Amino acid sequence: MTTTQPEKRLKSKRKATAVRMFFSYILLVLVALITIAPFIWTISTSLKGPGDAIFSMPPQFIPSDFTLNNFKTVWTSLPIPMYLINSMILTFFGVVLPLFFSSIAAFPLARMEFKGKNFIFMLIIGTMMIPNEVTMIPIYLIIDMIGLLGTHTGIIITSIITPIGIFLMRQGFKDIPREIEESAVLDGANVWQIFWHLLFPMVKPMLGVLAILSFIGSWNNFLWPLLILNDPNKYPITLGLYQLQGTFAANTRLVAAGAVIALIPIMTIFISFQRYFIEAAYSSSVKG
Amino acid sequence: MYKTRHAWFFLTVPLILLSVFTFIPAIAAFILSFTNYNVFQPIEFIGIQNYIDVLSDHSFRNALSNTVYFWILVTPALIIFPIFLAILVNQKLKGISVFRLIYYFPVLVSIVVTAILWRWMFAESGIFNYVLSLVGIDPIRWLTSTKTVMPAMAIVTVWQGLGYYMLFFLAALQGVPKELYEAADIDGANFVKKHVYITIPLIKPMIFFVAVISTMSAFKEFTLMLTMTSGGPLNASTTVVLLVFKEAFERVNMGYASAISFVLFVVILIITIINKKFLDTDYK
Repeated sequence: MTTTQPEKRLKSKRKATAVRMFFSYILLVLVALITIAPFIWTISTSLKGPGDAIFSMPPQFIPSDFTLNNFKTVWTSLPIPMYLINSMILTFFGVVLPLFFSSIAAFPLARMEFKGKNFIFMLIIGTMMIPNEVTMIPIYLIIDMIGLLGTHTGIIITSIITPIGIFLMRQGFKDIPREIEESAVLDGANVWQIFWHLLFPMVKPMLGVLAILSFIGSWNNFLWPLLILNDPNKYPITLGLYQLQGTFAANTRLVAAGAVIALIPIMTIFISFQRYFIEAAYSSSVKG
Repeated sequence: MYKTRHAWFFLTVPLILLSVFTFIPAIAAFILSFTNYNVFQPIEFIGIQNYIDVLSDHSFRNALSNTVYFWILVTPALIIFPIFLAILVNQKLKGISVFRLIYYFPVLVSIVVTAILWRWMFAESGIFNYVLSLVGIDPIRWLTSTKTVMPAMAIVTVWQGLGYYMLFFLAALQGVPKELYEAADIDGANFVKKHVYITIPLIKPMIFFVAVISTMSAFKEFTLMLTMTSGGPLNASTTVVLLVFKEAFERVNMGYASAISFVLFVVILIITIINKKFLDTDYK
């Protein structure tokens, strides 16, 4: 049986699609390998016992002297649990406070008309253009002046309210239809009740995005803890790890175990809230 | 329905916080840049002396040229590679969303962990040199040679930003009408032609946007250098903001450091404007 012309074309097209798919997957896997290679190397190092070489040519990815001892050591004889608790404290307040304060600032800017609104708005837009690197020195001096140097409060207070947070929440409040408040006013609700019981629960998607942004910022915050804290008992995991890397530079296995421990929380949150992370990426770009 | 006092009831506390930690610091930084403030001595205004000093300061010029070098290495790479990657992950393939998530993840990793990981990657018998040895290149002392330290920083930055910028191009690609590609298919256009004549012109606004944000972040980068090399060897990886950081917090020359940061602010502004002009004329 001879194949007809259109059948032939269809076959060659299918073949082309298959070839394209094959090469696409090869590229996808290759880039994925490049992306995760540093993580794989670190995880494997953290699981290596003294019998395994760390730096070798070719690199050894699967430990032959497999052990969990490195994790036990960093967990029990180094202050890793304390660093994690400090990180959790800083992150908890670093997420909850911006959600609240950005919302109460955004609510009137989104839904009320009042004198000076445009001025305030221009002021906020204007400060978005000034890089944090410029304001870093005065902020440090202000924190020193109000006596918060060396405290967790000093770190949290710098991130309580940001222009980007106000912008995000303002967008959230703007998207709510007008009629909703009008019926609440008729029912005799006051302004705080309207805000807290009616509108605030309706901006959950934006709160999610801002929560993710604040979480990444707080959990990974390194610069402000470095500048503000001097007592190692108050260090978050980033700063603790930075110090470990300095003092235990020779013990790669322990530092690797510490790095893996520091990665676990952010990975867990990322896998659980992927959708919000992608949203957050787009919104965060407003401030580069 | 709402009254002005209602607005202020909500706005007062946030505005005070915003003033203390954003508005006032911005003004204070500008004022500080005209002083010789160094914590120990009473503050004294010295006019534009700091700015004169900055422009003739050898370490500032070195830091600026390092920063420009870093920018040249990083920004084109963070436009070209993410576009390719976005085209790759814009296909309807099984498991594609898993790949997207994997590529995106590095941007979420803290700078300290990133620095630790990549110091090992760049070790003399690390993975990087191993891969190079497969193609016959002798081991390179990435972080301890003045020639390779900035390229090494650029590699880390591209690794970390690849998936992040990919997301932006992916969003742009999804806005390109599919019919255009179908029409091109009928005309027999190949892969390269399709993307050069359809994709690139249509995603140009996004290319500009990514160019601007990656330029700004390249010019502001310093925690990577601080954690990986402390700006060494021989200040070869000291960027402008790292210089600001060191002047302000190691040598406590707060006034001088503020002046440097304002010069940088102006440089960023100029580059953004040039960037916009350049891409705009290309557009017409």
